[in-house]
Amino acid sequence: MWDFLNHVIGRTLSSFGQRLEAVGPDLLAMLLILSLGALAAAALRTLLRRLLPRLGFDRFAARLGLSVVLQKGGVTQSPSQAVAAAGAWAVFALSVLLGIGTLNLQFANDLVSRAFNYLPQLLIGVGLVLLGSLISAFLRRTVLIAAVNAGLPSARLLAAGVHTAVMILFVAMALEHLSMGRQIILVSFTILFGGVVLALALSFGLAGRHLAREFLRRAVQPPTAEERGDPLRHL
Amino acid sequence: MLSDPLPLPPGVEARLQEISEVDVLVGIPSFNNARTIGHVVRAAAAGLAKYFPDQRAVIVNSDGGSGDGTPEAVAAADFSNPGAILVQHPLTPVQKIVTPYHGMPGKGSAFRTIFAIAERLGAKACVVFDADLRSITPEWVHLLLGPVRQLGFDFVAPLYVRHKHDGTITNSIVYPLTRALYGRDVRQPIGGDFGFSGALASHYLTKPVWESNVARFGIDIWMTTTALADGFRVCQSFLGAKIHDAKDPGTDLAEMLLQVVSSVFDLMRTYHERWRDVLGAEEVPLFGFPHGVGLEPVPVNVERMLTIFRQGVQALSEVWEGVLLPETRHEVMTLERPTNGFHFPDPLWVRVIYDFALAYQRRVLPGDQLLRSLVPLYLGRTASFVLRTEDNGAGDVEAVVRDLADEFLRQKGGLRERWMAQEV
Repeated sequence: MWDFLNHVIGRTLSSFGQRLEAVGPDLLAMLLILSLGALAAAALRTLLRRLLPRLGFDRFAARLGLSVVLQKGGVTQSPSQAVAAAGAWAVFALSVLLGIGTLNLQFANDLVSRAFNYLPQLLIGVGLVLLGSLISAFLRRTVLIAAVNAGLPSARLLAAGVHTAVMILFVAMALEHLSMGRQIILVSFTILFGGVVLALALSFGLAGRHLAREFLRRAVQPPTAEERGDPLRHL
Repeated sequence: MLSDPLPLPPGVEARLQEISEVDVLVGIPSFNNARTIGHVVRAAAAGLAKYFPDQRAVIVNSDGGSGDGTPEAVAAADFSNPGAILVQHPLTPVQKIVTPYHGMPGKGSAFRTIFAIAERLGAKACVVFDADLRSITPEWVHLLLGPVRQLGFDFVAPLYVRHKHDGTITNSIVYPLTRALYGRDVRQPIGGDFGFSGALASHYLTKPVWESNVARFGIDIWMTTTALADGFRVCQSFLGAKIHDAKDPGTDLAEMLLQVVSSVFDLMRTYHERWRDVLGAEEVPLFGFPHGVGLEPVPVNVERMLTIFRQGVQALSEVWEGVLLPETRHEVMTLERPTNGFHFPDPLWVRVIYDFALAYQRRVLPGDQLLRSLVPLYLGRTASFVLRTEDNGAGDVEAVVRDLADEFLRQKGGLRERWMAQEV
């Protein structure tokens, strides 16, 4: 009985040892890559946190409106700290993918392969959302200032509308690029924008016929000083 | 130092060869001024004949592609009638050059062509007049050219009598800021009609500014500031009232403010080493005979200005967040009061302008957005000025403007410190 148990346990341990012998170097390599990845991520983070502020990145980001976008997204860090953190996480994620690849398992190989194939689309998608944030923030500010200077009573609403419309456009483009819910997005987007345009056309054309006529008249003929309500010569 | 010659049309080159050399030059930039330019040309020619009869003179019209026959009106202007100026001597023939200008559309590009022609013809003294002037007389030629030709000044700024509510960008920003920065009391730095020496015209041509806002509205303040900061001899001449054709009503206030103030702020950067060490402000010599003039009242819509100011306070606080210091922003936010009691204090207005100047240098926002966001504040300040001076005469109003200018001077130390800290 004991001989049989010894044989079975020995065979199991021997088999485990053989498997460990086969997989061990791969595991060690994975751990090494993960450790190096973590170190590289930490180093990159430290480097970017020191370098970017000195290069005036925070000022540049504020000028582009990126700081406001980050604040509205709940990010309390400065833009350079946020970029440093994003860079560090990207390096660590890359090391995780490489680490999994060292295991040489079928599902791991498939996962790495798919991840690397999807990465460009993902980066482009993120880039589109980021670009949309910048453009929408810039346009929001432009519309807000212009509307206030023109004396329009709903300047904030107008600016928020422009901001939202541009963001929806860019998010839809990003999702389309990632092949996520392609049909739903397309249909929703078409209905939403078609509805908005139709509503605007109807309200402006029917309810504001006189306003439209006046608007066109002013577009063709420059307003008089009285119409502008500003007879001052400022220079 | 002579600049690289500006290419001119072949017809103009031929005229320059023909004329060869002149002593004085009158420049008139124009764009669709057919109604008034004939009068300006005749007044200039009469002034040359009466006050500079022995000088070789040329009148240059630099046109921006008018479609209303402005160049033809200049060409057809007849100035052979000596009765208009009560002289009996034969009038010296005055040459005329009519040329289109090239480059960015605007007064600055027109001036560049005039400077280039002055340099090519070796003019000793030049004068420029707006083409829409209705109140110009032959004496203006004497008052703007005389100090250059007879007394050796390099730059003559105009001094007009203006309605108390006219020229509010000048009174609330450009005049007090220029006085505080460069230490010379030039009351109308963006007057539009100037006299200057040939040497200064050549100096202007050496500056690389012809693709900037200087080429448009900014040329007037640029000419004055360059003359002040580069150490040229500057004076003023009293011209009386300035009456001109109604401005293009399409000209937007925000656009005007943007171009003028951005030119002032750009010049602050260019000349920061000059203005940093300037303390106080001194008068510049004044020529002419100051006298009172009846002026047309300027109707002002204070309620509309205050409406835009209040909307700005409510909607633009996020834009001003990185621009105004927290205490300045807080004070601006608490200015909203009933119309009759509304008051925008001088010290606060000066802090606003200095904060904007520093933010412009830091590039907190794109320059265009930054300066357009100044419009509601400017309208609030203008409304406050109008309310405050409603019952005042010209002398009292001038004292109010002078008080503001002194406040700019008092706070200049703080501006200098913050400017230098930003540079570090």
